[in-house]
Amino acid sequence: MADGLLAMSSDAWVVSAVALAYLAGCLWVGMRGGAGASDSAVGYVAGDRALGPLVMYFIVGATVFSAFSFLATPGLAYTSGAAVFYVLGYGLVGFIPFYFLGPRAARLGRAHGYITQAEMVAHRCGHTPLAGTMALVSALSFVPYLALQIKGAGMIVNRLTEDQVPQWLGAAVCYLVVLAYVLKSGVLGVGWTNVFQGVLMMALAWAFGLWLPYELYGGVGPMFERIAQARPEVDGGALFLSAPGGKSWSWFITAGVISTIGFVCWPHLFMKAFSARDERTLRRTVVFYPTFMVFLVPIFLIGFAGVLFPTPPPSAEQVLPHMLMSLDLPVVVVGLFCAGALAAGMSTGDAIVHASASILVRDGWITALGRELTSTQERRAVRVLVVVLMLASYALAVAYDDNLVSLLLYAYGPIAQFLPGLLIALCGRRRDGVAVHAALVVGVVVCVGLKLFPQLAPWGLHEGLWGLAANLATLGALAAARRQPARCE
Amino acid sequence: MPLFGVRSRVPHVLFALHSAAAAFCVVGPGYVWWGAPARPFVLGLPWSLVWPLLWLLSVFASLLLYEAWTRRVEAARAAEQTQRERGDG
Repeated sequence: MADGLLAMSSDAWVVSAVALAYLAGCLWVGMRGGAGASDSAVGYVAGDRALGPLVMYFIVGATVFSAFSFLATPGLAYTSGAAVFYVLGYGLVGFIPFYFLGPRAARLGRAHGYITQAEMVAHRCGHTPLAGTMALVSALSFVPYLALQIKGAGMIVNRLTEDQVPQWLGAAVCYLVVLAYVLKSGVLGVGWTNVFQGVLMMALAWAFGLWLPYELYGGVGPMFERIAQARPEVDGGALFLSAPGGKSWSWFITAGVISTIGFVCWPHLFMKAFSARDERTLRRTVVFYPTFMVFLVPIFLIGFAGVLFPTPPPSAEQVLPHMLMSLDLPVVVVGLFCAGALAAGMSTGDAIVHASASILVRDGWITALGRELTSTQERRAVRVLVVVLMLASYALAVAYDDNLVSLLLYAYGPIAQFLPGLLIALCGRRRDGVAVHAALVVGVVVCVGLKLFPQLAPWGLHEGLWGLAANLATLGALAAARRQPARCE
Repeated sequence: MPLFGVRSRVPHVLFALHSAAAAFCVVGPGYVWWGAPARPFVLGLPWSLVWPLLWLLSVFASLLLYEAWTRRVEAARAAEQTQRERGDG
């Protein structure tokens, strides 16, 4: 490989240097970010419940926009055309419920000392094993989601170094940086790097999203006109630009529904209810969140710019780096773009690894198994698990060969099964923990089973929807059978 | 108890209806019925993209209005509470 690195062109070296400068910037911001936090577990996991509006806005926005946004979204636009707009749809409505659920969860969190979602649900329903199951399901969903971010980083580094640095090595370098600042600074390190990464990726996405169509087609309008001429099905008014092999309507709608529900339930996002300074900060984060969604538009444009690009990329998800490396661009500009794409993946990866380790310790070890830990021991245990989860996700990222979109859509299905329990915990008068627990297990089993055997899923609907149906049916049946559920505050 | 201690449910109902309509139009069959065609192009963008963007703007506007109303009501309630406490004192 050393020979390969020496064989890299001077352009590739400059691009790599810009990306390395970005990584150094992240490391600096992340290491300094946690300076104001206390040494307690609440300080490490929930930032002492003191995150202000700016950090909250970027922590939510940058966490949501991931390697999926920067790589898989243009890839989906490139292969399936307008099917990609489902991302805008679910992102738009997925966060509205948090306007109501978030402040309520924050109030309960302050009153009872909750710092994780499962801890709150289990305590409210009076059934502590529920926290353990939720922690396990979260971890099972987080690992592929984190693997997706790691895989994305590896792909970017591989492309920008002209295939001289293998994906596994590029991913390892980027995520060592993440590991360093997550271990040192906890949620505050995640928050402040997200501010840095969010600004960088938004600026670069807009710059490239407008510039690429202009450079290749003479503007955004002419680009779509050219695509319409080349693809007659667009003139016929069809949603999908590539009808053969394209997605079905049932897929479009059910993937959107499950992604919306999963979006509400993501534990790493929900946990931010316990980190915010006050309820107004939480509500304002939701109010201004749609402004972050606009960031997707230039990403779509980048994907569409690839539809009529003269040379095809090695895979759909590499359409963006492929175009950038093929065009005669200043190398610093290419390097900046790569930094933006890395920022998108890392800003999500750091939040996920931090949240999943916190959840496993707090919900699995302390709440479900009833083990006593001091604040210092809890903080140390979270750090150990950060390393373990990072390694597991890294192994999956290196071993997994399918596309990124399917990896993300798998993750949403099991997480969507949290919804009934979450609503019951926050709003329900009768909170039957045993019924919620059993229904969750049934929902997850159905969802994962149908993912493994997709031929069994009727009508091509997303497996998460079938899981949710089984979940609700079990909940209803058990609630009816157990007329006097145990209530616990 | 009504949300935020307010008796009028009209803003809540309006906001809920608008959110449900947005969900139906961008995620559910509403997109298939009204948002799917690529044409007409609006400002160079296909209608299938303009449609969710219009809903995005409308959701942002409704969230802003709803938040402003919520804040006003909370301020009024806090002032009322203070006045009551002074009266008691």
